[in-house]
Amino acid sequence: MVSVETVIYVIVFLPFFGAIGALLLFRYLGEQIAYFCASIALVCFLGVLRLGTILKNSGPMQTTVPWIPAFDIAMRFYIDGLALLIALLASGVGILIFVFSRGYMHGESKLQRYYIILLIFMGSMIGIAFAGDLIVLFVFWELTSLSSFGLIGHYTESRSARYAARKSMLITVGGGLFLLVGFLLLGTSMNSYNLVWLLNHSTAVQKTLKSKNIYTIVVLLIGIGAAAKSAQFPLHIWLPNAMEAPTPVSAFLHSATMVKAGVYLVGRFRPILLNDAQIWTFTFAILGIVTMTVMAALAVVATDIKELLAYSTASHLGLIIAAFGFGSAVGGETGSLHILNHAAFKATLFLVAGIVAHQTGTRNLNDLSGLYKDLPITAGIATIAAFGMAGVPPFNGFYSKELFFEATVEFATHNRPIMWLFPFFAVIGSIFTFLYSIRFAGMFYGKKPEELGNIYRPSKSMLLPAGLLTLAVLVLSFIPQVITNIIVQHVFHSISLTPSHHMSVHLPTKLSPAVIMSLITIGVGVLLYPQYQRIQSVINTILSIRYITVDWWYERFIFGINHVSGIVTPIIHNGLLRTYAFWIVGATTVISLVAYILTGIDIPQFTGITITIPLLLILLVAIGAVMAIMIAPSHIAGVMTLSILGFMIAIFYILVSAPDLALTQLVVETLTFIIFLLVLDRLPAYYGDIPPGRAFRDGILSISVGALVFTTVLLATKAQPADKIADYFIKFSVPKGGGGNIVNVILVDFRALDTLGEISVIAMAGISILTLIAMRTGSEQP
Amino acid sequence: MSTVITRTTARVVVPIIFLTAIALLLQGHNKPGGGFIAGVLTSTGFGLLYLVYSIDFVEETVLGGSISKEFQHLQNSIVADYRIIFGLGLLLSLVSGIVPILFGLPFLSQTVVFIKHVPIYHELELASAVIFDLGVYFVVVGALLSIISVVGAE
Repeated sequence: MVSVETVIYVIVFLPFFGAIGALLLFRYLGEQIAYFCASIALVCFLGVLRLGTILKNSGPMQTTVPWIPAFDIAMRFYIDGLALLIALLASGVGILIFVFSRGYMHGESKLQRYYIILLIFMGSMIGIAFAGDLIVLFVFWELTSLSSFGLIGHYTESRSARYAARKSMLITVGGGLFLLVGFLLLGTSMNSYNLVWLLNHSTAVQKTLKSKNIYTIVVLLIGIGAAAKSAQFPLHIWLPNAMEAPTPVSAFLHSATMVKAGVYLVGRFRPILLNDAQIWTFTFAILGIVTMTVMAALAVVATDIKELLAYSTASHLGLIIAAFGFGSAVGGETGSLHILNHAAFKATLFLVAGIVAHQTGTRNLNDLSGLYKDLPITAGIATIAAFGMAGVPPFNGFYSKELFFEATVEFATHNRPIMWLFPFFAVIGSIFTFLYSIRFAGMFYGKKPEELGNIYRPSKSMLLPAGLLTLAVLVLSFIPQVITNIIVQHVFHSISLTPSHHMSVHLPTKLSPAVIMSLITIGVGVLLYPQYQRIQSVINTILSIRYITVDWWYERFIFGINHVSGIVTPIIHNGLLRTYAFWIVGATTVISLVAYILTGIDIPQFTGITITIPLLLILLVAIGAVMAIMIAPSHIAGVMTLSILGFMIAIFYILVSAPDLALTQLVVETLTFIIFLLVLDRLPAYYGDIPPGRAFRDGILSISVGALVFTTVLLATKAQPADKIADYFIKFSVPKGGGGNIVNVILVDFRALDTLGEISVIAMAGISILTLIAMRTGSEQP
Repeated sequence: MSTVITRTTARVVVPIIFLTAIALLLQGHNKPGGGFIAGVLTSTGFGLLYLVYSIDFVEETVLGGSISKEFQHLQNSIVADYRIIFGLGLLLSLVSGIVPILFGLPFLSQTVVFIKHVPIYHELELASAVIFDLGVYFVVVGALLSIISVVGAE
């Protein structure tokens, strides 16, 4: 019998090892690597199912491996219903996507990279779902952003793909940084990054955060992180561009899994942070409902089938976020159910879009029509999934939409009348959803235009995954209660404050407000559909005012930054070493001095000085050497005089009995001297007169650097801790380190890790210099 | 720089430099010295040779490498050897850190063994830290020599 821990670790880490395997096996397997990846996803999927049965019998499970105990950070994994659902989607849809890729990516280049990143993504997504620690969650969170970046930019030669990849990277990783700050605030104020602990102490968490006045900030920061990842308004702009990725990627990352990470986050923190102060509700319900409506409207005007699906995805995620925003039980039910429903029909539709684009060569909705004769199976699949998306009974989207209407009505009745805007916008958004869903399915019907020519049937490896997903849609449509009992109920438990509540999903039996809203949605949708183009032109007219589009602001911002750095860079980095040095040294000095002044340092009293005659002599010679450098007639003379200074320092070390330092100083001094001699003949003998302005500037800089170093030395030597660390080293150098040279024992034993880091830096410096010189083009710049 | 005086001096001094460097490396655990100092000193010796005898002479005649004229500073077989040296050094230090883990000790633990009754030396100390130090030595030598030879070839 395999222990639960082993199963968890296998599920999380197998995809990463699989990525290494794919790297090694690709040359033998070629395109068949798709099936290797699919089998890895299958193992994860089976593992998740195994955990599901354990969850059913004995409740949530957790594991811990210590990582940074001092901060209570650990490699924790926590598995409950919500985690399992997300992992189930990642691995289950993963299997189908790998199989689909076999057909879709046939004959393309860079397949090795494609499959490796896809596997890494799958592992990170499962990692997000299973993470039981804020820091672990964050690490996996950023890993998904990174892999998304690589996959969106898959067609590296395409300019728009590179633009899209950068855009998604900027927004999702930027959002991730907000999230990190939120996590750190939460973690430091509670002294714990343990998610399970936070889940069990939600009242204490809220109380502490409120007493520190950071509750709102934490909610907002987590909200920004979630919004960036789940493409919520106004951070949605990366998602339509992300459709540059190969379609299997869009189906996997940008509809079924990665964009669900934000939703997952909101669901995960819902029981911790949701309270009656309404900040949570306002943040997420408003964010969600605005996104839902705006994105649905944008999907209506989309002409590219993948773009339509992208906006639609953002809109549906908005629905889930809004549902999680409501504190009521039915709100939680909506979100839990819709995560599953949306993944099922949206992944199906993306695969349909992939098949259509692959077989016809176009993604433009205006060119596509009457495809059912050539692609009959695909047409059936698309119709079922589109009805699910539209929320037409009895297809699966209907149930979650009903629950959502119910949640908005319930919220509105218990609050001020203005809250009736929620049900209102829910209906508006749903009408748009209905319209674009029918429009999407519409490309299979009607008359086939001549230009499309012959369309061949898709390969089995493309049709099979889409068919299996349709089966999932049908199961969710016709026996929703069974699925609810198996999965959704557990998801609801993990995101809910009232876990005892029992969910029931069925077709409505009596006329409730929600049923009336559904009737309005479908009725108005059917009435408006003939006017589709008129609606499009109205929305397009609004969008033609470019100031209201987020994209316009994004472009302005990015090009603005480019412009500013175009101005600043030539000033700081003008190719002259002395300019670089001026800015680097100057900035360091100014920042440090300002920091000293702001923190209010006090310089120790001058208490007289004791100096021996040999020391005095050495220092005088050193000062003399410094003076001599300034008037040195040639470079060689200057370098030699500089060496005098270095050797004086070495003698100084000997006098204060630090032989190791002295030795180091001596050899380094010698080596520097030799290197100087090697490069000296390359330098011009005479630089010309220095203009007085620059001499003055450099003088000021030198004096301030000197002042800074002087102050720092004074401050650093002032503090004398009672329990000196030197005593420890002296005491234990021989017994523990086995060496009489304390400096060396510190280097190789007590602080060996630091040394290891330092030699890595030395090696890196060597490689950098080799690379820099190798990369230089032949022409010598004066 | 290549005069009779410098050539003669270098011929006498360089072997002494290398010998001193090795001595510093080995005695470093108990007396002044250590991998870093020894590495820098070794590089200094090479630097001196480059300066006096020119890089081509050292690498072709003394070390027996061949120099291809294109991308001289990179294709140079010796420079590639230097890169191997610091990769090797890094590996050596890492391995010397990982070995203790196999014995259930923390990463980078060091130990020491004294061997008594050895002829001439009477007592010989074998410190595992020397292996780590040797890694440091190789990294320093490899990196510095790469830099010197590349810069020198320019």
